[in-house]
Amino acid sequence: MAQQIQSIVIVGGGTAGWLTAGVIAARHKARMKAGFSVTLIESPTVGIIGVGEGTWPSLRSTLEKMGVSETDLIRHSDAAFKQGAKFARWTTGAEDDGYYHPLMLPQGFTQLNLAPHWLSHSDGRSFSDSVCPQEQLCEDGLAPKTIATPEYKGAANYAYHLDAGKFAPFLQKHCTERLGVRHVPADVVSVNQTESGDIKSVVTRQAGEIAGDLFVDCTGFSSLLLGKTLGVGFKDCSDVLFCDAALALQVPYDAPDAPMASHTISTAQSAGWIWDIGLPTRRGTGYVYSTRHTSDAEAHETLMRYVGPQHRDRPVRKIPIRSGHRETFWKNNCVAVGLAAGFLEPLESSAIVLIELSAKLIAEQMPACREVMDIVAARFNDVNHYRWGRIIDFLKLHYVLTRRTDSGFWRDNLLPESIPERLKNLLQLWKYQSPWFFDEFDRLEEVFPAASYQYVLYGMGFRTEVGPMDNADTEATASRLLRESAVMTRQLRSQLPKNRDLIRKIHEHGLQRI
Amino acid sequence: MSNIVVLNSGAHRDVRVQAGASAKLGDNQRYVQVVVTEFPLLAVHYPILLSKDTETGAFFCGAMLGIDEGENLFLKEGGGHEGYRPLNLQRAPFFVSGNELAIDLEHPRVAAGKGEPLFNDNGEATPYLESIKAAFQELKPGIEMTKRFIQTLLLLDLLEPIDVILGFDDGSKRNLADLYTINQEALRKLPDASVVELFRRGYLQLIYLLIASLKQIPVLAQKKNSRFLSG
Repeated sequence: MAQQIQSIVIVGGGTAGWLTAGVIAARHKARMKAGFSVTLIESPTVGIIGVGEGTWPSLRSTLEKMGVSETDLIRHSDAAFKQGAKFARWTTGAEDDGYYHPLMLPQGFTQLNLAPHWLSHSDGRSFSDSVCPQEQLCEDGLAPKTIATPEYKGAANYAYHLDAGKFAPFLQKHCTERLGVRHVPADVVSVNQTESGDIKSVVTRQAGEIAGDLFVDCTGFSSLLLGKTLGVGFKDCSDVLFCDAALALQVPYDAPDAPMASHTISTAQSAGWIWDIGLPTRRGTGYVYSTRHTSDAEAHETLMRYVGPQHRDRPVRKIPIRSGHRETFWKNNCVAVGLAAGFLEPLESSAIVLIELSAKLIAEQMPACREVMDIVAARFNDVNHYRWGRIIDFLKLHYVLTRRTDSGFWRDNLLPESIPERLKNLLQLWKYQSPWFFDEFDRLEEVFPAASYQYVLYGMGFRTEVGPMDNADTEATASRLLRESAVMTRQLRSQLPKNRDLIRKIHEHGLQRI
Repeated sequence: MSNIVVLNSGAHRDVRVQAGASAKLGDNQRYVQVVVTEFPLLAVHYPILLSKDTETGAFFCGAMLGIDEGENLFLKEGGGHEGYRPLNLQRAPFFVSGNELAIDLEHPRVAAGKGEPLFNDNGEATPYLESIKAAFQELKPGIEMTKRFIQTLLLLDLLEPIDVILGFDDGSKRNLADLYTINQEALRKLPDASVVELFRRGYLQLIYLLIASLKQIPVLAQKKNSRFLSG
């Protein structure tokens, strides 16, 4: 008799735990009558890390599938819209050095690659501004939709900025009240394993022994189940990504109705970069830096210079960053999601999207019985190794295209031994052909699509050679697409409200579901 | 510009209002907000569709009187309105402010100084003013009733967007967006208990009036088309 997988036990709350619980419970809701269950054990004493305040557009469909109302999300997670990121001072370090990585794809992206056309005649406009409206929308501080746009729909593509400290309890309420997730507030004190090494149960101080068929490790950096119990090692990648600490600081607005950016602002510094995220009630800022290249005290000064001396007395929180991931993500009957699986500097908000993708994969590929679990696990590990590798490449891309030589941090980032082989090869290839969706990036659910690579490459002044006749056949289509983008930009700029105003209206009136 | 003041039989004794339907006087509206008590009168003439308030995103019901902005295809050439004239057109240039009737003294219906008097020599309301009061007696509670009706439709997931794409004999096309109607598929799937509840509250009839009024869309398009044909 095959051992059915019926009882899912998630250890650890936070964004990872509750998102995973919600995605699995929503997907298998109908089976709950037949004995399927999702239990989440959360320590009442361990706090959540909760720095992840930037998300990807995938969160919209993830939450919609869980049955979450977007209006509730905005009201209860202090959420606002995010339409991309602006990278300031990454290329030359000059005052006016900056580029956008918007969330909209270049116009007609699946029809035609506009990059070679832009490369041959850009008439001084940035790549992102030429091929999509979103740079202008962000510069104008506009929202990606209006009060009459249904929930989760947008006139422009968008994700959220949110308060992770509020997001987790919000998800908890939804999961326990609507999706039938059992919440056990208890501390795990020991883990029982079978002879084969599978986890049989966890023993908690407050709620006794809790058995399960599949355990999801969402215990954060400690990786209690996968790391400590099953002994899966950690693959450090600080040789590629140097930042190993962050100082986080919340900054109030000057006035409650002060403009709120609808994009993340990431400003390069001498030993790292500062994030700046506009939530409705405050800004979240933080300096991500390399302790090999600066001291904590110097980092603190850098952050103070950025936010202004009036915020000197506000509490600053230091967060260690251990860049890397588990050598295996699913072993025996235990799979890690979130920080327990790994962590990278929050440069492109990859943390929450990785949680979503893992949770979705677990929910969709939920093994029917123990006998087939190892097959699912092997596939899960393949996909996750690929994803982590690609994210590391993509984050490193931001550093290797710099022309800054003003500090050891930037100079060291160009050392060949710090650049992954695959990225080196791609950089070589991209000199002659630009990344496009019709190449290897066209994987199902690529974390960063080829468009993202284009925005970063051409935003940072990378040049791909374009032959004299390369564009001849597609010139007419390209001009049409570029005109369409310009028309759409004009229309959206005249129709869309300010980001701040729309959030206020959603708090007042709510969005309609249709 | 408008100048809305509370109506007063003393101050406004001599005010006259041009009450008849006319494009110049403000009846040139393509889509007019209506209330549920009007549905039976409207549904035989116009499509009744829902749309969203651009300020709040809230749904409201409206009658389609035309296709293009500022076009009411039911206005007669020499003045007057074919079919039933929606209360929201009838009531102009009046408003309510709390429990009091107010008037926009800058409204084109008032500015010319001619038309129906509001008060007789004794300072009593004329039949015209009484008809305005009656309109508000229906409109004011009607707006609340309509809100509750829409709330119920949303709760039961009975609304869906409808794309109205019309082609005309002059070769032009119109795409009317941001309109909503009853999702008949969802209506058919309603559990019995909800159907009975809708029936008892009088909502089932309103739902079927909304559905029936969709038949007025081609009629409206034909009306516009005949204008193209007649030149």
